[in-house]
Amino acid sequence: MNRRAFFSWSVAGLAAIWAAVGVSLGAAARFLMPSVFYEPPQTFKIGNPGDFSFGAPTLLPDEKIFVFRDQEKGFAVASAVCTHLGCTVQWFSSDDRFHCPCHGSIFGTNGEVAHGPAPRGLEWFEVTQARDGQLNVDKTRIVPASYRLMVKV
Amino acid sequence: MNKLQEVYRSIVRRDPLSTEKGKAELVFLNVWLHIHPVKVKQENFKVRHTFYLGFISFYLFLILVGTGVALMFYYRPYPAQAYQDMKDLQFVVFLGSFLRNVHRWAAHGMVVCVVLHLCRVFYTGSYKKPRQFNWVVGVILMLLTLGLSFTGYLLPWDQLAFWAITVGTNIGGYAPLVGAKIKEILLGGHNVAEGALIRFYVLHVVVLPSLVVLFTMVHFWRIRKDGGLSRPVWKLEGEAAGQNAPMSQPLVQIGGAAAPPAPLRKGTVAAASKDKTYGLMEVVTGKPLFETIGPEESDDEVFSFPYAFYRETIAFLVTLISVMAVSLIWNAPLEELANPAKTPNPAKAPWYFLGLQELVSHSAFLGGVLAPTLMVGALLAIPYFDKNPSRRLASRKRAIWVFTAFMVVNFVLIVVGTYFRGPGWALTPPWVHVTGHE
Repeated sequence: MNRRAFFSWSVAGLAAIWAAVGVSLGAAARFLMPSVFYEPPQTFKIGNPGDFSFGAPTLLPDEKIFVFRDQEKGFAVASAVCTHLGCTVQWFSSDDRFHCPCHGSIFGTNGEVAHGPAPRGLEWFEVTQARDGQLNVDKTRIVPASYRLMVKV
Repeated sequence: MNKLQEVYRSIVRRDPLSTEKGKAELVFLNVWLHIHPVKVKQENFKVRHTFYLGFISFYLFLILVGTGVALMFYYRPYPAQAYQDMKDLQFVVFLGSFLRNVHRWAAHGMVVCVVLHLCRVFYTGSYKKPRQFNWVVGVILMLLTLGLSFTGYLLPWDQLAFWAITVGTNIGGYAPLVGAKIKEILLGGHNVAEGALIRFYVLHVVVLPSLVVLFTMVHFWRIRKDGGLSRPVWKLEGEAAGQNAPMSQPLVQIGGAAAPPAPLRKGTVAAASKDKTYGLMEVVTGKPLFETIGPEESDDEVFSFPYAFYRETIAFLVTLISVMAVSLIWNAPLEELANPAKTPNPAKAPWYFLGLQELVSHSAFLGGVLAPTLMVGALLAIPYFDKNPSRRLASRKRAIWVFTAFMVVNFVLIVVGTYFRGPGWALTPPWVHVTGHE
């Protein structure tokens, strides 16, 4: 091996080692992203239709959803998580709107933004009736605010 | 007895402190003290020049490390246990409540002192050449201090902790492009739960304190390399004196085992000069970056022992006693156990983040991402854009106005967030009590 070849191989070798270090660092960053989430399921049953009253929506605090039940139109499920920074909104019967305690966002009956700083309205989730008659909410399926589930009780 | 003496002499090898050589050796033979120069300029230690804010910030950090390690013995970073351990510390553990108080109030004090230190350095123009980079290091240390506060007040897992982590990580989620990933990495999942707590715990007890130590070392080192503590403005002789202008003639730097030659006072003879030995490490050609060894003695130069050490010790003791006194009178707050199902109304961050909360209440992206980024960028850029070489207030009117306005805006935002925001973040004066909200 002549001198020029030796230096070429040395440079190539050093580059390979640094590349390996770079890849390892990337893998270390990926290490911080969990591969398994021990979190509550995104699809869950919330009970029988008869459990919910008409009028003001029912807050299910653990699931962070509001369940609306309307005499004619049926069931709808809205997210209780403020789209601004994630606080749980409260329903005020005094003005029929959702108020966020953290930064003052207000949402109307259809979840639309009535007052900032929330960038967009509350999300609505698909609600279906399972075979056993219970209502089933799927948080991965976003539906329009007009979505309603009609059930026979 | 001779053996004992031999052991002692093997540890403490300096000459007696009554001699100048002993005073010098105390500093440069001791790994902990040698961050000091052998001699300091008396006027630089005047309270009305620095208010010792840098020292106090550092001392508070030491107190925080001490109490923090103590608290770690009783703290389990898991949601159910964390809050229970807080209650144990409050009511059962001997001195637990007191140590937690000291830790909490020292943390608040550190935020205050670091910010005031930043102001002092600005108003005395101490960030100017050659200290530009040390200002940058200082700003980084301030951000680390805020990061430690943020990660720290999450650990009790009370309502404040839970909703602060919720809001804080959601702000991170607004960062362009990488927002969602940042949020997931911080939380270790999609919800604020045990994964988030252990991550913030590791950041709080290992990652961020280590970074503070590293940057503090750079900060202190740079002070020495930039010519020691900044000169009080009133000691500047003419505009050029305070600027550390490059020397016109090459300077031979002397280093090694002995102190730099003690310069002579005019008309006096230094008796010790016969005993001095110099270790010359290396002679190189070229000019130094800037003047680090003054060619002449300044009239107020004295040995660090005891002048500087005495003052630093007093500052430390005053700091420690103040924090202890505050901790005996006021207890660190602890809210109810974190309840993911119920957001308190109003949900407020600690006071130093209420300016930020006030900003995000107008727009999450503008107030939570863009404005803070611009603010930090502006702070970092100050020494590189303020080319005015003068350190005197009178000749820096525009810079003083801009910086003061910046600080006042931040202060007003914090005051509004703290005292003028009621339930639902509505504008409510502090003297109006709103009922009907939980």
